[in-house]
Parts: sequence; C-alpha cells; structure tokens
Amino acid sequence: MEAISPQQAADALKEAVAAEKRSAQAYRYQRAAPYLILWGVIWVAGYGATDLFPRLAGWIWCSLVLVALAATMAIGRRASPDRLGPQSNWRYSLCFAAIWAFFASTYAVMAPVSPMQQGAFPPLVVAFAYTLLGLWTGPRLVIAGLTVGALTLGGFFYLPQHFLLWEGFVGGGALILAGMWFRRI
Amino acid sequence: MGEIDAVIHQPVRLKIMAALKALPAIEQIEFVRLRKLVDATEGNLGAHIQTLEQAGYIAVEKDFAENKPRTRVKLTKQGRRAFEDYVAYLRDIIQDKP
Repeated sequence: MEAISPQQAADALKEAVAAEKRSAQAYRYQRAAPYLILWGVIWVAGYGATDLFPRLAGWIWCSLVLVALAATMAIGRRASPDRLGPQSNWRYSLCFAAIWAFFASTYAVMAPVSPMQQGAFPPLVVAFAYTLLGLWTGPRLVIAGLTVGALTLGGFFYLPQHFLLWEGFVGGGALILAGMWFRRI
Repeated sequence: MGEIDAVIHQPVRLKIMAALKALPAIEQIEFVRLRKLVDATEGNLGAHIQTLEQAGYIAVEKDFAENKPRTRVKLTKQGRRAFEDYVAYLRDIIQDKP
C-alpha cells in the first residue's frame, strides 16, 4: 500500500474521532432511555393518582418509589449482566435513599410548602440535573431537561388548579417521549 | 515507520472500528444500530464486517431476539490493539515522525 500524506492522515484521524464521538454519545443515550421511560411512567401514575387521591399521596409515592427502585435494578442488570453483581443493588438502594433524604430534608428546611410546591420541586431538580448532565454528554439531555423544566413551570404558574394532572401527563409524557427519542440514532 | 493497516484504512471500516472502540470492551452493538451510526447500506456494511471479522478485529454473534434474527458485533482485543496502533500511526505521520 502506498504511503499516505500528513493531510490524508489528518483527515482519517478526524473521521475516526467523529465516529467515536457519535458512537459514544449514542451509547449514552441508549443507556439512559429506559430510565427516562420508567420515570415518565412513574410520573404519570404518581401525579395522576395523587390528583385522584390526594390524602394517599404519601403511600402512593412510597409504593411507586419502591417499584421504581426494583425496575431500576432490573434495567441495570439487563443492560450490564456481566458487570452488575448483587452489590449494585445496595448502591441503587442507597442512591434512592439519598435522593429521598435530599427531598425530605429540603421540604423540612423550606417548610411550610404546599402540595403543589412539593409536586413541582422534584421535576425542577430533575430538569436541572438533565440540563447540566447534557452539557457534558449530549444535547438531547439538555433539550429534555429544558422541556421538563419549562412544562413544570408553565403548569405551576398557569394551570395551578390542574397542576398534578398536568405534571403527570405532560411532564411524564415528555419523559417517555424523550426516552423513545434517546433510543433512536 | 511500518505500513498502514490496510484493513482499517478504508472509510467505512475506519468508522466501524472507531464506533466499536467507543463502546465498553464487553459491549456489543446491533447491526441495525451500527448501520445507522456509520451511515452505510446493509450490503456494504455486511461486506466490511466480514472483512474485519476475517482479520480477527471484530467478533460477530448471530442469534434470535423476540423471534427475529439479530446480529451483534463487538471489537476483539486484537481489533482494539490494531485500531490503537492505526491511530498512533496516523499521529506519527501528522507529526512527521520518521
């Protein structure tokens, strides 16, 4: 084979770097997709049920978080059967406990908070986290974060009487759609 | 300086190798996803995958998922090393190393 010029080498290297970057980003999206869909479904169920049975909100969300924890473990094991052993279950459980403790302590510090404020805060934190994470990993997460954030604020300020239903079906629906979008290349 | 790896030094095969290199070592990618990633036709990708498999650079696994045939591809250790050597070779040329 003939020798190649520095320019040809630079072009080939550029192609390789671009393909690597695209593949890595698609892989990250693919890994994130089932979690987005899962949480979209949890939001639809949680906010919808809370709107119907506001007095049972605590039980509803405790039950759904346990379902989400079990589903998260199952998704993790399915995605990486070779890497995730039983110890990963403890990590997932501790992550959920830490998140739960964060929201509980925030509500305690900010008290009194209305049920609507309680309902709006987690989606705003999620939107913020996705946006920040997306700045490092890929624009789709930024778009998902900004969309969920904007929808949450829109529902909070302009549809307060139907906020929980709005958050469930529009916020949760946005997460499900984002998850389906993430699976595509 | 040695010779450039002619198996990798082909635009589609280079993209395939780079796309696989970006994945964790044990990770496989489905043929359909890979085709979209490297923007190749089915026949074209199939032929290049065969070339890379014959060189020992990738491993191909065929099975059934939900009653549909599925082809998955991953980089072998030899392939990973060959790709790293290829990239190092390119960098040497760019930096004009003898």
